[in-house]
Formats: sequence, C-alpha cells, structure tokens
Amino acid sequence: MKFLFDLDGTITSQETLPVIARLGNLSDKIDQLTRETIQGNVPFIESFIQRVNILKDIPVSLISDSLSRIPLYREVCDFIDNHRENCVVVTGNLSCWCEGLFAKIGCKNFSSEALVENDAVVKLKSILRKETIVELYQAQGEKVVFVGDGNNDLEAMRLADISIAAGLTHNPANSLFSITDYMVFNETALCRVLNQLC
Amino acid sequence: MSCSKSVVLSCAGIGSRLGLGLTKALLKINGRSLISLQLEQFSEVEDLRIVVGFQAKSIIEEVLSIRKDVTFIFNHLYFETKTGASFYLGAKDARDEIIEWDGDLLVHPDDVKTILNTEGEFICYSDITSDGAVFCKTDENGNVLAFSRENGDYEWTGPACIKKEHLTYSSNNVYNIFERVLPMKGMKIRAYDIDTYNDYKRVSEIIKNW
Ligand SMILES: [Mg+2]
Repeated sequence: MKFLFDLDGTITSQETLPVIARLGNLSDKIDQLTRETIQGNVPFIESFIQRVNILKDIPVSLISDSLSRIPLYREVCDFIDNHRENCVVVTGNLSCWCEGLFAKIGCKNFSSEALVENDAVVKLKSILRKETIVELYQAQGEKVVFVGDGNNDLEAMRLADISIAAGLTHNPANSLFSITDYMVFNETALCRVLNQLC
Repeated sequence: MSCSKSVVLSCAGIGSRLGLGLTKALLKINGRSLISLQLEQFSEVEDLRIVVGFQAKSIIEEVLSIRKDVTFIFNHLYFETKTGASFYLGAKDARDEIIEWDGDLLVHPDDVKTILNTEGEFICYSDITSDGAVFCKTDENGNVLAFSRENGDYEWTGPACIKKEHLTYSSNNVYNIFERVLPMKGMKIRAYDIDTYNDYKRVSEIIKNW
C-alpha cells in the first residue's frame, strides 16, 4: 500500500504559491491567474506554465528557503514519519523551489522539473501529471491511496484505488465530489482514516 | 468520547417515499434538521462515518456546522443501490465493530446510550408501528432468528452492530447483510424511522416528549 499526498494545502497548512508570489512582489499577477484557473478559464497545464514564467526570476534559493519555513500539518507529518517507506509527496510544484520543504517532510517525492542557472529558473523541463505516479505504483502491484484537494488531483484520485478529498486548508474542489471515496475536513479525521487503511 | 465502535450513518438516499424533494437528513423536525438531532446523540462516538450521495454538499455543510472530525464516505451509486451498499462502503475500512444507523431513524436518547455501550454484535428492533415493515422473528430470549416481509414479533428498525469479519456486500437492504450472520442477540428499543409524510408528522409529535 502506498500513500500519495498532494503538497499544497494537504501537507502544508498554507498554499505555497501566494508565498512565492509575495517574494517577488507579484501577488496581483498570480492572484489573477489563480482566479482565472479556478474559474476554469485557463487549463491547468497552461496556467502552470504561465505561473512559472511570472515567477522565474525570483532567486530559487530564496524561494526554497521560504517554503521550508511554511507551516505544515503536524499530525499528517507524523503519519508520514511513521510510514516513511510507504508515503510519497506528489506535487506539480517545481522541485528546485521545494527542496527545503521536501527535506523537512522527509519522504520520497515527485514534482515538476526546471533548468536552473544562476539561481533563476531558465526553462521548464517537465510538468508532473499526478495520475502517472498512481499508475507507476499500481504497475508495481501496489494499492494506491491518494490524498488531495484540488482540481489538479482529480485524475490521480479517479485512478487511485482509494481516494481521500481533504478539505484542510480550503474546501475540496467541486470536481472531487463526484469521484472521491472519502472526504474529511480536519487532520484528526484524515489521520484516523489513513490509519484505518494501513 | 467513549464509544470505541465505528458508527456508520447512512444518508445517501433520495427519500423518494417522503416526496418532499429534500434529502431526509435535512428534514426539519420541530425546527431542527434530522441529522443535527442524530449528531447530538453521537457526541461520544469518536469514529463517526456519514455516507452521503444525494445532496451530499448540503449534508456536509450542515454536519460541519456542528462537528468537523467526521469521515464522509461517498456512495456515488446511491440511485441504483440501497442502504446495504452504503453501509458496506462506510464499514469496510472502519474499526473492528461497526454500528449501522439509518439516516432516517430517530432513537430514544436513553436507548442510544444503551446501544453505544453494548458490547459485541446485536440487532435492535421496536414494536410494530409502520406499514410495510420488515419484521424480526425472535426466540424466547429476544434473539433474532430471522427477518421476514410477512410477519414477526417486532419491527426491524436498526441500529445493529456487526464485526468486520462478518461484513459482506449487498446492493440491497442493510438487513440482507445481517441476515447472513443470524442468529444474533436482539435488543428492543424505542425507534422510529421516517419513510412517509405520516411518519414525519408522527415522529415530530413523539420526540416532543423525549
Ligand atoms: Mg493542493
């Protein structure tokens, strides 16, 4: 059994994107893009490319350092600590931005990749589709549990053997209501379900 | 929080026989929603699992206004299946002993306490009050020997408690799951389910005296 976790709002108790945007005084631009994306006017992949383009000149080390200090859900991290071999973080975020955060969480992770030169992002190399990680583990014969909250978790959750929509930081995306197996709204309930699935 | 069993409250159905176009959980009884009355009775239940389907969002909203640590389970096939499927989904990953509770059932508060504190497996029944009831046939000690559509000593109302090792799937009614595990200890309680508009009016009067 593998437990796959979305990062933003599921392990972190704050979304990372606004934090990154503030570092570059780019909050207005990012907020507008986020609104358009949530309303469905910009498809997720396109939105992600635009987002990286807006934020690419902010020093990568500064972002990684800031994100490593973002608050995490304590009980969720304890579960990951106690089941480190079977927990995986699956995020669309760039690996170079999340290095500090990944180190703190301490389990295996998958993310999008970018080419970094002189502490700045120069080129997107890959954009993670979370469902491919579900497939990867299922192909190894693993039963996959996926915990997520956003529209970009939809396909991974649809494919997972067991899906948990977590409304910890914000309500789960509307699209998740028609595919999820479980839905929880605080850490206690989430960790109770996770432990019951072990 | 002293009840160590999981409680599965099934609220996925469309309540077609009531004919109010509203999921029964949100039905107002003397000014309060049915599910809020039930949640009050479950305050000592730690692992409360609510199965949702029809109007899931509205039910979740109502529950969250009272309590946040609930696990919601989705029965996406709520139109095609009955309470057996909802109970199975709610129970399959739950604790070792699971109490099934229909979302349209109101139980006298004293009996709720007894139910939550009774150990092991059991089936609850009431005096016969409904039209079209499912009956329980019992032995001289009140143990349940069979369910019947024709006749019996009491009316099957639930709740009922099953060990996870005895849990099987049914797309039909929840008693079809318990039927496979009979005989089982029986408990007579004061419980009323709300299937029709007449039930609704009757229960509204009865609980004024609780
Ligand atoms: Mg998220």
